[in-house]
Amino acid sequence: MIGLLVATVSFGALLYLAALGELISEKAGVLNLGVEGMMAMGAVSAFMAAHQTGNPWIGLVVGILAGALTGLLHGWFTVVLGAEQVVSGLSLTILGLGFAAYMGKNVVGRPPGAVLAPVDWGPLTDIPWAGPVLFGQAPFVYLAVLVGIATWFVLSRTRAGLALRAAGESASTADAAGHSVVGLRLCAVGIGGGLAGASGAYLTLTLTPQWAEGITAGRGWIAVALVIFGAWRPGRAAVGALLFGGLLALKTRLQTFGVDFSPILLSMLPYVSTIAVLIAISVRARNRPSPAPAALGTAYRREER
Amino acid sequence: MKRPVLVRRHRPLRGGQPLAFAVGLILALAVGAVLLMAADHEPLRVYQRMFEKSLGDQNAWSLTLNRAVPLGLAGLAVAVAGSMGLWNIGAEGQILAGAIGAAWVARIGGTWPGPMLLTGMLVGAVIGGGLLALVPAMARARIGVNEIITTLMLNEIALRLLQWLIHGPWKDPDSYNFPLTPVLPAQAHLPTLFGRAHFGVIIAGAVILVFGIAASRTAWGYELRVAGSSADTARYAGISLKRKILTVLLLSGGVAGLAGGVELSGTADRLTEGISNGFGYAGIIVAALALMRPSGVAAVALLFGAVQVGGQSIQIIGVPASISTILQAFILFGAIGAGVFVRYSLRLVPTGVDASGEGGTAA
Amino acid sequence: MSQAAAVELVDIWKRFPGVVANAGANLRVERGTVHAVLGENGAGKSTLMNVLSGVYRPDEGEVRLDGTPQRFHTPADALAAGIGMVHQEFRLVPSFTVAENVVLGSAERILRRQDVEARVDEVARRFGLATEPDRPVWQLSMGERQRVEILKSLWRDARILILDEPTAVLTPNEADELGEVLRHMADDGRSVIFISHKLHEVTGFCDVATVLRGGETVAASLPVAETDAATLANLMVGSTSLAGERPPYRTPGEVRLAVSGLCALDDRGLPALHDVDLEIRSGEIVGIAGVAGNGQRELAQVAAGLRGSTAGSVHLDGKDVTSAPPRRRFGLGLCYIPEDRIGVGLAPRLSVVENAVLRTYKGHRRGPFLVGSRLTAYCRDLVERFGVRTGALGDPIAGLSGGNLQRLLVGRELSGRPDVVVAAQPTRGLDVQGVKAIQDLLVAERDAGTAVLLISEDLDELLTLADRLLVMHEGRIVAAFDPMDSERSVIGEAMAGHLADEGAA
Repeated sequence: MIGLLVATVSFGALLYLAALGELISEKAGVLNLGVEGMMAMGAVSAFMAAHQTGNPWIGLVVGILAGALTGLLHGWFTVVLGAEQVVSGLSLTILGLGFAAYMGKNVVGRPPGAVLAPVDWGPLTDIPWAGPVLFGQAPFVYLAVLVGIATWFVLSRTRAGLALRAAGESASTADAAGHSVVGLRLCAVGIGGGLAGASGAYLTLTLTPQWAEGITAGRGWIAVALVIFGAWRPGRAAVGALLFGGLLALKTRLQTFGVDFSPILLSMLPYVSTIAVLIAISVRARNRPSPAPAALGTAYRREER
Repeated sequence: MKRPVLVRRHRPLRGGQPLAFAVGLILALAVGAVLLMAADHEPLRVYQRMFEKSLGDQNAWSLTLNRAVPLGLAGLAVAVAGSMGLWNIGAEGQILAGAIGAAWVARIGGTWPGPMLLTGMLVGAVIGGGLLALVPAMARARIGVNEIITTLMLNEIALRLLQWLIHGPWKDPDSYNFPLTPVLPAQAHLPTLFGRAHFGVIIAGAVILVFGIAASRTAWGYELRVAGSSADTARYAGISLKRKILTVLLLSGGVAGLAGGVELSGTADRLTEGISNGFGYAGIIVAALALMRPSGVAAVALLFGAVQVGGQSIQIIGVPASISTILQAFILFGAIGAGVFVRYSLRLVPTGVDASGEGGTAA
Repeated sequence: MSQAAAVELVDIWKRFPGVVANAGANLRVERGTVHAVLGENGAGKSTLMNVLSGVYRPDEGEVRLDGTPQRFHTPADALAAGIGMVHQEFRLVPSFTVAENVVLGSAERILRRQDVEARVDEVARRFGLATEPDRPVWQLSMGERQRVEILKSLWRDARILILDEPTAVLTPNEADELGEVLRHMADDGRSVIFISHKLHEVTGFCDVATVLRGGETVAASLPVAETDAATLANLMVGSTSLAGERPPYRTPGEVRLAVSGLCALDDRGLPALHDVDLEIRSGEIVGIAGVAGNGQRELAQVAAGLRGSTAGSVHLDGKDVTSAPPRRRFGLGLCYIPEDRIGVGLAPRLSVVENAVLRTYKGHRRGPFLVGSRLTAYCRDLVERFGVRTGALGDPIAGLSGGNLQRLLVGRELSGRPDVVVAAQPTRGLDVQGVKAIQDLLVAERDAGTAVLLISEDLDELLTLADRLLVMHEGRIVAAFDPMDSERSVIGEAMAGHLADEGAA
């Protein structure tokens, strides 16, 4: 049972990192359906860097950079050139998965050069229940928590966050107020890519820790779902991440609990519940604005006033 | 000081899209060459082999055509929805649902004569794909739920459903507990045209042709264009948006489902997890490159089919097939980049001057 | 010249493809004054203000602030120089609070919410702008939103505030309050530029007026106290006087459109129409006057079948069409010229042909197919008859000017030989020629025996065209006038909701 909780937090952090990235990007008005591709790029780059250098932290940094660069490709096409966000994002997924497979073909199945092991909190780890669940985790879990709090703070309590949200709600208003919509959106997409890259690095530096084609296994899509499930709020997304993370953790443990229910069907739940949440939002949104950023998915060009 | 400004053209450059496409292809080949060289392959040799194995002879063409079938149908599915401004991101799932539908008919009709069974399977495929599109279609038509995310989520749901069937209820009892469904009955295979090319080529061609004519020449297609251009205008003209959204998304799902059925009865011998191979996602790229026009979908699907078949052929000489995935994505990115200049013209203006092309009405 | 003026626009020229929007316009605004910039639609007011606020750069001419020449590259430059502009379409983020909207673009790095709200509230109070800083903007009325826009400029300490037709969306009460706020600001040493074509507001709130016509300044800095509305009106319209051109009134025929006890909701689900009764007869133009947002838009939409009603009935030639869809009403002879030309009346990305056949495409079918040659022939005929200037008929309508778009739309609607025309703001935003062309078409239609419902915010237009004039206020028809024999001021009172009993319908 403790194992389940530990895994819940651990998987939850994996999803949360990528979801926060997507949340930041969407808050600025850019839908990026390339999370899966950015994760794959982060995963393979982090693994290869750690493999080469033997230093997992260098792996993490390289993974984040790879994710960010991949994300910026989407940013260049959608924000600067005004391409359709849906098409560009999906192509990014295809590109990222293909590119990662191509890059990593020589390290498939190799042992990791270095891993990011759980942090040793000393005696705290020995606390029953809370010890292993809260203090026996890899650095990524604490990173996810920190990034979650930072995201909340920046978005709701700073000038940068206000400007970023304005770019996602009404780009022309942000522009008229003197903010660079292109700059804000590129930033958001880049950070979003970096976090997806970090999430990928978590896979290959801690969770698996190996590189194999298809290692992301659709978790990028869950991250996209989480943003909606969390109604574009970092706090609610955290709750969602724990729920979805719990489902991932439960999936491999159903049989050990002697429950006669297909784990495969169980893994449909995140997607089903996201559709349900979307429908609920729309039903409720009749007389008030939807929590989705109003300009999400639309390109902005100043002369098209 | 001068700075470059993009000014929207009143109408897109004529013949610009094929040009943009060509630019994309060249960019993709260039990027691919760099990647190949980085891994100590000879790009020219690899490209030559890809070309020979996909378009070099009759057999190669038959493989390419077979590949173009699911790509073209998936692309058409996306384009049908896209002509009305809707995004069906769920073609991948609908292909799987279509394959499930066809496989289900094959399970119950194992003793039927070939033509009847095949017809039944294809009908089952269309219904399967349509059913998967039902929830997004209803949600969008009735309460305005954005279809992008709902269709996307259903891809993953359909994949899990397929996995569950293969691992569970539909598992072959004689498979020694491997997650495999029984092989299809012998008469459940589409007839062959030439080489490896199967009858699905004709089915896909016919479906694309019918939709192409319907979209450009009929009142129905006109209504779709009006609705896609402006929902309020459609309402004003008395076009029922709800019904249009519903029919278009269901049709779109049905067409994608058909791709799954054709793929199952044309190239597979049993239902597997890999039945779609990402055709649904590639179909979105195909439709985008074709600017949501059915005629363009056929051409782009053929080219993507060739790239995919070529990509498989180079594995034997030690080049990963993922290079073909990279090529496909870069064709799109290159074409998007070039496509900007189809819709916009680049002008150098002194800094500070507005670039409002529509300033005439702003007085 | 003793002292440099707060704003000087000297000999401004601005050309757009096919249009000269400003042809040597001048403007001089002193500190501490409310300065009206008057002119008809298309006189170049908005372009001139866009030059001042950095949206456009002039082709020729100079912008000076306190005597110093300025070069604005972007609106942000103008903002930094102390110029705030309140556009007709508000630049607000609906999901943000008032305070968030106000500080957007000029906030400190870290936002302490309560602190910011308190400071926004303080600035608001100083200028008499009542707001609730913590409320989200989507919950506010149009008047409240406008106050937020003004507050945005004041927050950035704008010394020059430009308001583009600010009263169009206000109730008379709100307009009066706005006048007080502007006075406050002028007394504070700031300059207010008030763009309008409504004379009574100019004489009400402004100190000085500059009049533009055809892109030129025809009267600079007239002291309002020493002039009168008639003089200003003559300056605005030039030699052609609007009055006196009224077509002769004829006896109307039978009732074509009858609306009774009609109630309907607006987009937000709030009641917009209350128990509206209305009859329009063959051969008459019935004008609906009112301040924007008093139910006129909804009335037109319900009549056309684009908005459902919650009570009451609509009869067309005696047939009950209360729940009939738009297409059936069109079939029964009702045509509709919507106020949103592009996006409702015309589909933006489609071609001229595709837009021309929007109402009649079903008649050009052979089986399920549309006959391309017939569509083109139909469109060509329409374009020729109504003098629409277009490029190739297969090109998107995006290339057409506003006047030609409206000719295409009005032509398409009228070519069906309607019995009833519902026209909402049919001349808004058109140039002088375009206005004339559309007005002539409506009058010709009336003379041919059609019943016309004309909704306009331009009282002069209504007085010129309408045979009967009804005034709407807060979703009700509150008064009826004979346009031949009514005082503007009395009509204005009714529009403001001040009812003279004998005027009520």
